[in-house]
Amino acid sequence: MEKNSIHNDNEYFLADWIEGKISAEEFKKYVSEEDFIAYNKLQKGIALYEQLEAPLDHTFEKIQKKIAAKKETKKPKVRNLNLNWAISIAASIVLFIGIYNMIGTNTVLINTTIGEHKSIALLDKSVVFLNSNSEISYDKKRWNKEREVKLKGEAYFKVQKGSTFTVITDMGSVTVLGTQFNVIAKKDYFDVVCYEGKVKVKNNKNSFILTPGKAVRILNGEIKETDKITQQAPTWILGESSFRSVPLKYVIDALEDQYKINFDRKLIDESIIYTGSFSNKNLDIALASVFKATGIKYKKANNKTIVLSK
Amino acid sequence: MIKELDNICNPKTFEGVFKTYAKDLKRFLYFKFGDMEASEDVLQDTFVKLWDNCSNVTFDKVKSYLFTIANNLFLNIKKHEQVVRKHQSTLVHDSTNESPEFLLLEKEFQVKLELAIEGLSEKQREVFLLNRIEKKKYKEIAEQLGISVKAVEKRMHGALLILREKVGKI
Repeated sequence: MEKNSIHNDNEYFLADWIEGKISAEEFKKYVSEEDFIAYNKLQKGIALYEQLEAPLDHTFEKIQKKIAAKKETKKPKVRNLNLNWAISIAASIVLFIGIYNMIGTNTVLINTTIGEHKSIALLDKSVVFLNSNSEISYDKKRWNKEREVKLKGEAYFKVQKGSTFTVITDMGSVTVLGTQFNVIAKKDYFDVVCYEGKVKVKNNKNSFILTPGKAVRILNGEIKETDKITQQAPTWILGESSFRSVPLKYVIDALEDQYKINFDRKLIDESIIYTGSFSNKNLDIALASVFKATGIKYKKANNKTIVLSK
Repeated sequence: MIKELDNICNPKTFEGVFKTYAKDLKRFLYFKFGDMEASEDVLQDTFVKLWDNCSNVTFDKVKSYLFTIANNLFLNIKKHEQVVRKHQSTLVHDSTNESPEFLLLEKEFQVKLELAIEGLSEKQREVFLLNRIEKKKYKEIAEQLGISVKAVEKRMHGALLILREKVGKI
């Protein structure tokens, strides 16, 4: 009865309630427990709806203020910086010209010592991975006209597409457009493997075109072509030197290139043909994998020399 | 001329883009954050970013650009919060104990509520929106519509009864 009487007092109590004119205690008198909870939830939902639907003029004003503030703080700074840069760039250009004139060379030379690997980014973003005890050089100034790299030792090339890229060695040259290939140029051992694209190999007598998986080797003047390379890149990139049908002499040379050691080879036959690989990281494992496979005994005479015997 | 109007670097176009998408973005952010203040901040920063990149965004890509930026800003803040939380050595309770399920229910509730508001009779909706969104007192509404205050209160009361009925089933 009481409920009804209040209800009659305030016919449209919900209009007062949403305006906050009725306290929670009072409101409870109007509605059931269940309704009370439901209305409270509704109130929260409406409050959220109000916020989500509220006009965003104020937000837009703030955005414009932020944009304006950014402009003000940024502009003078940028100008100062530009000026400073301009001066320092000018200064370094003068300096560079000076140094160039004094030294008078544009040749860049990069080499690796025994056991050292380097990856070199060339001016056109081509990459050269230089194996140990090797050397490349190129002419900075002529690079834009001619991509030409001189190589001694072994290197793996990832060449960016563009004009012809030439690797010159004492034993022949390798010409490509854009590709991946490995070149070994050591004394009388010349070996080129093509991993991607097309590679042209030339020495003073012959020229070969290599496609992926193909390789050519010139050993003591003898030419051999193969087309059974299944790797995606030379294994030495991953820390392993591998060989296919190579006289043991070159494998031992490669060991000497990777590790700071010498081999006494007087007692063994170096012409045995070796196919396999050795680790570039652990000498003991490397020695075992080369010499146990070929039946050769090895003994450390001192820190630097290893004596080989049958 | 049409091209000029499509250029977001044009302040008028920029404002138009804001008016078209700001509310949706705010809603999107709110239901991610569950925090109106943080949503408002990210909303502002999103449009500042759009202005910075206005020459790189084409008119037909602007919507997805805005939502992507807003989402990225949201993720950055969340990542930062995680880092901060990790560095706080004391065990602090997570601010929301609500399960994702609960939050989802909240969103569903909200969607249902909005549908219910849209479903009000025109007279009820008019009063409801003038009061809740435009923040007008019943007396002002009465004057504006040329009806009695009692009539305004009646419409408001009726609107809330219907909303209670429609969303109360959740």
